[in-house]
Amino acid sequence: MTISVLSGMKGVWSDILRGAALSEVWVAFANDEIQNRYRRSAVGLLWIAISYLLWVFGLALFFGGFSDLEGRAFTAYVAFGFAIFSFLLSNIVDGCSVFVVNSGWVRSASLPYSIYVFKSVARSLFPFAIQIACAFITMPFFGWRLDLSALMALPALVIAVVTAVPLQYLLGLICARLRDIGHFVQAISRLLLFSSPILWVYDEALGLRRLVATINPMTSFIEIFRNPLLGKATPLEHYAIAVSSCAAVWALCLLVGSSMRRKLPFWV
Amino acid sequence: MVRLDLTNIHLNYPLLARSASGMKAEGDVESSRIVYDKNGRPRAVRALSGIDLSVGTGERVALVGHNGSGKTTLLHVLAGLLPPDTGTVSIEGQVTSLININLGIQAQATGHANITLRGLAAGFSRKQIAEKRDAIANFSELGPFLDLPVETYSAGMRMRLSFAIATTFTPEILILDEWLSTGDASFRQKAADRMRTFSQAASIIVLASHSLPLIEQVCSRVVWLDSGRVRMDGDVAAVLDAYQEAMAEA
Repeated sequence: MTISVLSGMKGVWSDILRGAALSEVWVAFANDEIQNRYRRSAVGLLWIAISYLLWVFGLALFFGGFSDLEGRAFTAYVAFGFAIFSFLLSNIVDGCSVFVVNSGWVRSASLPYSIYVFKSVARSLFPFAIQIACAFITMPFFGWRLDLSALMALPALVIAVVTAVPLQYLLGLICARLRDIGHFVQAISRLLLFSSPILWVYDEALGLRRLVATINPMTSFIEIFRNPLLGKATPLEHYAIAVSSCAAVWALCLLVGSSMRRKLPFWV
Repeated sequence: MVRLDLTNIHLNYPLLARSASGMKAEGDVESSRIVYDKNGRPRAVRALSGIDLSVGTGERVALVGHNGSGKTTLLHVLAGLLPPDTGTVSIEGQVTSLININLGIQAQATGHANITLRGLAAGFSRKQIAEKRDAIANFSELGPFLDLPVETYSAGMRMRLSFAIATTFTPEILILDEWLSTGDASFRQKAADRMRTFSQAASIIVLASHSLPLIEQVCSRVVWLDSGRVRMDGDVAAVLDAYQEAMAEA
């Protein structure tokens, strides 16, 4: 094996490919981190389900009046929307620190840097899976029925995951160098909950709220995942926005990575 | 074929947002290694300046030099962990580096979990790791402590674990910093013995150390670093004599 100095976009791309191939390593790391997070807790992983259900029912109760949807339908709307929203948000927030929190490994192991990205994305899928399972179990009590159209949520999830990898890589590099960006993202992350259609319905929104939701690409990622689960058709434009956002993030990741990746061990 | 080749390596270690002291020493020899920006703030340290080094199969090389002479940075470059600003690095062989024992450890996971993680990270399968587990446990002498989180270990115990993992998986190239000295006398001897037998497996060891007895026991060649440059490179006795003479004068 010869490690010559790979640079440029080819270097980033090969880093991502080599990292993806080492799935056994990042799955083991992700596992360790999940266990670590709930170590010494009596109910452990159950906290993910408890906190999700509390939040969903709380929101449905307090904000049911925000929508023309009938109360029970609104609960399912919030349940699925919030799960995918949390997944997207955790990839944005965790992406900012993905290399910094792994600085010990970045500086001491000659592993591809993308390992830490894959680990982080894999870890974020775990609470998401539990939340969706909770929704599948509890939502039938609110008149929600699972039908075949729900299968269309799967390609939407694939698009979200395929976007999450370059997004975390990109944010991780930028935030390792420019620490203010991480604080900025933290500051706006709370606002994203209100500027994305979780508590209110995109189709009903008017004026400023509609404008913000249209500009916010998270809206499209949420709609293409949630609509199939609720048995609703999704306008093609949402798919177009999601897929082109994904392509744009990949392009930015390769571009920024080509100049920043090699300097990473000096910054973390 | 296992080889390490460095050609004309220059590396300025960037200092990000470390505040200016405003007390720049005038004419100090050491300060010539600090790069200042036009406002007089330190911007980088000239860690390595024009290093050429070739290490071939079976060589056991010691790095000696003052604190701050560039030993650890050079180890990072040899391990492929830090990219130099200019020059080429060619590493042929699978590298394991033990440069800082507190890095590359999941402190909240058990010793056994760390054996698994490090084994996977070094490219071994779970089956291969299972086969080596007893050997690692025996060499580290940690016994039942391997079931406890690593954060409960003393510095010496961490070192035993890291060293046992790194050497049991017999890397082709082993890169070590001087923390080996945190071990007690019996473990130091055990580690030295293991490193001596290592070369029979056609491997390379690069070891930074201030312990001259350890170097004499383990190494076949010494590279003396001074202010980020190679001052002398040759067989153990010649370089150590010159080095000790220079130390005595200083």
